[in-house]
Amino acid sequence: MESDNLIRYKNITFIVTKDCQLACKYCYLVGKNSKERMSFEIAKQAIDYLLDEKRNFREAGVVWDFIGGEPFLEIDLIRQICNYIKFELYRRNHKWFNNYRFNFSTNGLNYHESKIQKFIEENLSHLSIGITIDGTKRKHDLNRIHRNGKGSYDDVVKNIPLWQKQFPNEGTKVTISSDDIPYIKESVLHLYDLGIHAVHINCVFEDVWKEGDDKLFEKQLVELADEIIDNDLYKHFECSFYSEEIGKPLTDNGNWCGAGMMIAVDAAGNFYPCTRFAAYSLRSKRPIIIGNVKDGIDKNKLRPFLTLNRTAQSPQKCIDCEVASGCAWCQGENYDAADTNTIYQRSTAICKMHKARVRANNYYWNKLYRKLELEGTRDEFEKNRYKVKPFIC
Amino acid sequence: MLQYLNILLDDSAVSFCHYEAEKKQRLMSIDMLKAGIRFAMMENLMIQFVFPDSPLPKEYYSVIDSIDHFNIKRNSEDSDVCVVENWDFSKANANVPIVVRTTKEVFFQKHQLLNGIIAQAKRINIIITNVNTFNNDDFKEYKGILDALREQVERVYIDRKSPQLNLLTDRMMLKEMNNCGAGDTNITLAPNGKFYVCPAFYYEDKGDSIGDLEQGLEIRNKQLYKLECAPICRHCDAFQCKRCIWLNRKATLEVNTPSHEQCVLAHLERNASRDLLHNIRKLGSLLSEQEDINELDYLDPFDKRDEWQ
Repeated sequence: MESDNLIRYKNITFIVTKDCQLACKYCYLVGKNSKERMSFEIAKQAIDYLLDEKRNFREAGVVWDFIGGEPFLEIDLIRQICNYIKFELYRRNHKWFNNYRFNFSTNGLNYHESKIQKFIEENLSHLSIGITIDGTKRKHDLNRIHRNGKGSYDDVVKNIPLWQKQFPNEGTKVTISSDDIPYIKESVLHLYDLGIHAVHINCVFEDVWKEGDDKLFEKQLVELADEIIDNDLYKHFECSFYSEEIGKPLTDNGNWCGAGMMIAVDAAGNFYPCTRFAAYSLRSKRPIIIGNVKDGIDKNKLRPFLTLNRTAQSPQKCIDCEVASGCAWCQGENYDAADTNTIYQRSTAICKMHKARVRANNYYWNKLYRKLELEGTRDEFEKNRYKVKPFIC
Repeated sequence: MLQYLNILLDDSAVSFCHYEAEKKQRLMSIDMLKAGIRFAMMENLMIQFVFPDSPLPKEYYSVIDSIDHFNIKRNSEDSDVCVVENWDFSKANANVPIVVRTTKEVFFQKHQLLNGIIAQAKRINIIITNVNTFNNDDFKEYKGILDALREQVERVYIDRKSPQLNLLTDRMMLKEMNNCGAGDTNITLAPNGKFYVCPAFYYEDKGDSIGDLEQGLEIRNKQLYKLECAPICRHCDAFQCKRCIWLNRKATLEVNTPSHEQCVLAHLERNASRDLLHNIRKLGSLLSEQEDINELDYLDPFDKRDEWQ
């Protein structure tokens, strides 16, 4: 689903600020700061360049992503940028006119504020907003904390009803690190209780896993599977941990990650193959800058990204793996963790967690299908299957 | 598999490829030289000594002669590879391969000088040092020059000679990729006692070593220097392409990914080679055993990635 989206839609990300109210423990942004805020002039130059270059962007539509830090800290700038985009798409009679979306991932803290609500009202039909809430209060507050150490759950959860009313089909993104594992089951069920139908959940790609984490993870996922199936929650809710597509040998040789097919631009006007290659996202490597708003994109710098495939970057154990499908990777994390300055060395830190997920996933589908067959409701399930809106990375 | 060890005898050792050597002299110590030779013997590597212009201390020559080797020198009678700078062939040794290092601008001006030596020289290797600066106009000019040189090579073939000019004749003779091989078939020992992927990596960043004489070799991600891990190149049949690992990294930041410019140049050469083979065959039974070179509708395999990905 992800790759399909990337072919049809160009993802263009504005890193409008590197500031955030939170100091989440698992955040990959190691260089957050309050100084690097995008100016409208830089955003305008980026938009002009990208719209001028329509010959090089074959995608039928575009997703304009706004990311931070916390993007809504810059709501005035965002409104100005979006108005300019809409005006220019119209003025140029651009193919993306009326085939665009504005996409936000927010911590939700200031979601209720009038400026943000006004922006939502103005752009609702072209807007996707995901609020990140990690689950129960104790799970959420374990990682998602204010700079003073106070948990942010209470500040976010109060905005969930308004968000769900405005975006009933939007899901939330949950990130799992080592310390979160004991709370997975309760957290997913809690999010369902809050009315969130789709929970996009994934383990961090960084090498954080401790001995025994995979067993604990598997246990949580099996217990969650029991809860979802025994209480018929599968009829109305989705959890991305369970998918019939994962855990099979791979025959295709495509790249998992869309880095390079998307473009990110930061406050300095530099272009990146994805935000994860900007300096503030990298622990140990230099940023990969593929151009800037003045000189445009250096196509030579994109060539490695656009020709990257699975076998060229994977160790033999991944190529031979019999449960390889669904085993994800982040190109930025691969680069950051690599022994040399390359995007061609796949990090396998997530291996044992993927295998645990596959075992629990097999359990889920075996249990669910047996139940449906015994009830004689499998056809009905297939017909009414809950369809989640695809999550765009 | 490693086969060759380049030993730079001095920081000012002559450049025989795309990179620029340093002007400042720094001689490799004789103990290091001996250790380098010993390393090559233990690893079963053929040594290519790269000489500076200034003479070495006398004792170095006996150490160098203690092992079978090749000499790479500038304009020298006793070299195995003779490097020519500034298109001055007056002191070139025609009995060994001649390396002509040139910018594209000078190549465009002086290429006709090759006409006089193609028939005499054992082999000529043209190295264009600023490959990544080619633009569309340069490509057109390069193609025209290759066509002119091709006609010259054809004339030599009519005289029943078999000249070697890397840009035109290598592709005709090759059945598989034959590229620079840095980090894969050859590595370099620098005067500081450290190993590098090639001399260019040493001159660009001395901290970018892949081991030293004391600790041995440590080529991290060494698979990336091999053809199998080069997505564009492994689908390409411009077998004569230099596939310069250093230029790759400079232009694309990855050692396994060539620039657009490197690909187009290699394909213009390949296509000229195709025409050359076609015309030579008209002369009789010459090169009849060589495989045909197919016609292509592209100059950069990257543009066809949807077909091979």
